[in-house]
Amino acid sequence: MATNEILLHLDHVSKIYGDLHALDDVSLSVPRGQWLSIVGSSGSGKTTLMNIIGCLDSPSQGEVALQGRNVEHLRERELADVRKNVVGLVFQKFYLVQHLTAVENVMAAQYYHSVVDEKQAMEALRQVGLEDRAHHLPSQLSGGEQQRVCIARALINCPEIILADEPTGNLDEANEQIVLDLFKNLHEQGTTIIVVTHDSTVAGQAQREIMLNHGKLVGEKWNDQEARERFEELVQSDDSIAPVHEAEFADPTKSAKDTIDSSNFEQA
Amino acid sequence: MADKQETTQYVPDDSLSSVSAAGGNGYSENTHSTNTDGVNTNSEKRVFTLEDIKKQERANRAMFWTMIRGAVIRRRSRAAMAIIASLVGAATLFVLIMVCLVVPAQMTEEMRAYGANLVVTSNQTGVTENGIQKDMVEHTTEMMTATGFSQTHATYRYETVRVNSASYQMAGIDSSEVKSMNQFWDVTGQWPTKTNQVLIGTDVAERLSVKIGQSITVGYVDDNSTGTILDTDGTRMQIVGTVSTGGNEDSMLYVTTDTLNKLTGKERGVDAIEYSSQATGDDLTKLVNNINDMRSMNVTAQAVSKISTANASIITMLTTLFWIISIVIVALTLVGVSTTMTSIVSQRRNEIGLRKALGASNRSIAVEFYVESALYGVVGGILGVLAGVGVSEILITTVFDRAVELNVWIMLVCVAAASLIAVVASIIPVHKASQINPAVVLREE
Repeated sequence: MATNEILLHLDHVSKIYGDLHALDDVSLSVPRGQWLSIVGSSGSGKTTLMNIIGCLDSPSQGEVALQGRNVEHLRERELADVRKNVVGLVFQKFYLVQHLTAVENVMAAQYYHSVVDEKQAMEALRQVGLEDRAHHLPSQLSGGEQQRVCIARALINCPEIILADEPTGNLDEANEQIVLDLFKNLHEQGTTIIVVTHDSTVAGQAQREIMLNHGKLVGEKWNDQEARERFEELVQSDDSIAPVHEAEFADPTKSAKDTIDSSNFEQA
Repeated sequence: MADKQETTQYVPDDSLSSVSAAGGNGYSENTHSTNTDGVNTNSEKRVFTLEDIKKQERANRAMFWTMIRGAVIRRRSRAAMAIIASLVGAATLFVLIMVCLVVPAQMTEEMRAYGANLVVTSNQTGVTENGIQKDMVEHTTEMMTATGFSQTHATYRYETVRVNSASYQMAGIDSSEVKSMNQFWDVTGQWPTKTNQVLIGTDVAERLSVKIGQSITVGYVDDNSTGTILDTDGTRMQIVGTVSTGGNEDSMLYVTTDTLNKLTGKERGVDAIEYSSQATGDDLTKLVNNINDMRSMNVTAQAVSKISTANASIITMLTTLFWIISIVIVALTLVGVSTTMTSIVSQRRNEIGLRKALGASNRSIAVEFYVESALYGVVGGILGVLAGVGVSEILITTVFDRAVELNVWIMLVCVAAASLIAVVASIIPVHKASQINPAVVLREE
């Protein structure tokens, strides 16, 4: 029962490039429906962690399980299947296909997933408020609009997890708010959201924040105590689940201070 | 694309689509779209009819072409680069084929028209004691055409005549026959068409020191006559033209058969028939043997080769040259198109990474790029062939002074070659690109 609740499970995962430990023995369990932020300074291993979660990369050591299924031994094609069926990706730099219109970009995701349906694609754009911009090329859209197209694209195949890498990194405040509202809606719908960010506002929206430093999980903070209690119940029922990392962000590791607004965390 | 599909309708209200259990893939994946209009909320296992699946396949095919169209039309400058590379290749290939394949072929054909390739002579015995009579000429001609090869022929009656005390060979001919048979004869002035008009070889003209328009006295040397070299009797004939071939013709005189009949005072059959037959090689040998086997005809057939070995070797050289140059051109085109494709593909590394992140298989990415390349090849090929037609027409008419015969097959071959080269050239870059690790590309700043 409990394992069904855990959508993503990382078990002592490391990613090593030569001498560099981009990720160092990270264990993390994410239950279904949780909104998680991964924070940390540049080079802390956030993106590596995100790539591993998104099945874009595989760990050097340790195990990754999505929906209780170990993805370690999957071949590239199977990984691609997991990617398209389970994960919806949102990037900082949007990565829209420049020669396809907004709606065509969304349809491309349908195409690689299963079946193209323009009506569905238009509906997804309508939900991010871009129905009237559907036939514009990315170059004709503002950054915020492009990111919303990305979110529509990530949503179109109804993924288990929305995985967003600095989704607001290139956006102004107004657009940041629009994107966060979209995430909030998604979260209320029950979608698991994992956001990699170094923006404390964005990170603070999540139920749970974890901090990486030099590839290690160095801190954890819960913004939603109810969610924490639920999670701890889960942990007690199943000892395979990685427990809450007891260290708070205020912990004197303080290595993240240079990029994270530490005052924000001390309040918490 | 906008096919109405009630069952897969997206969430119609403001709420974002909720997540249901994921699993499996393919068409069943669409069951995740929750339909909140209350009709299909529990349709975990939706049944797709064959028609639905066909509709879906159509929609995906349409999307495939939409993506290709987007890549080609909205990336015009890149597409133009690839098309121009193919265009130049196809045009060069076409011009080369036209010049080096068609020109020698036309030359061979025209050289074949250079005189006869089969000569029938009388044995001066039996039915041909008085030359080959008209009905025998017809019979021989029938034997020639019976084999299925078309022919043209010219007849010659030879007599020895005397001009200014020197002996010459005079031939009685039908001017139009000989003219069409021997198009390579360099004739100045006119062919003899009326009585007592004579066409003389250039050697004869030189020895007699005569020019066109002057007259000569031609005496008939009868075998039985007692005439001497002092005999100055003869018929005045007007020189209407001179002929130069570099061969025996230069020391001959040509008059119409009618003139010769009058000069000799007797009619007889012809001494030789020259045939220009379409038959070559073994077919020609067979024809020669057939005629020679008919002993009752009292004629001898002989195959002659008027296309000199030198001419044949020039054609071989041209053909070899064509192949060498073509291979070089094809290689250069391959390099050009390949470079272009590599640059196009490398500019789209991010896009490829993204597509892979969206779940595209290597194969589907490769297919997209190959189809795109093939399109560039076809478009470039067609434009290239059109350009090639123009260039080769100018080149062949002005430089080679020949008419261009457009060959649809060569055009098609060039277009096909251009497309093939474009696809082959993109194999390596596309293979490399499809191996891109999406994480690596998307991480790049």
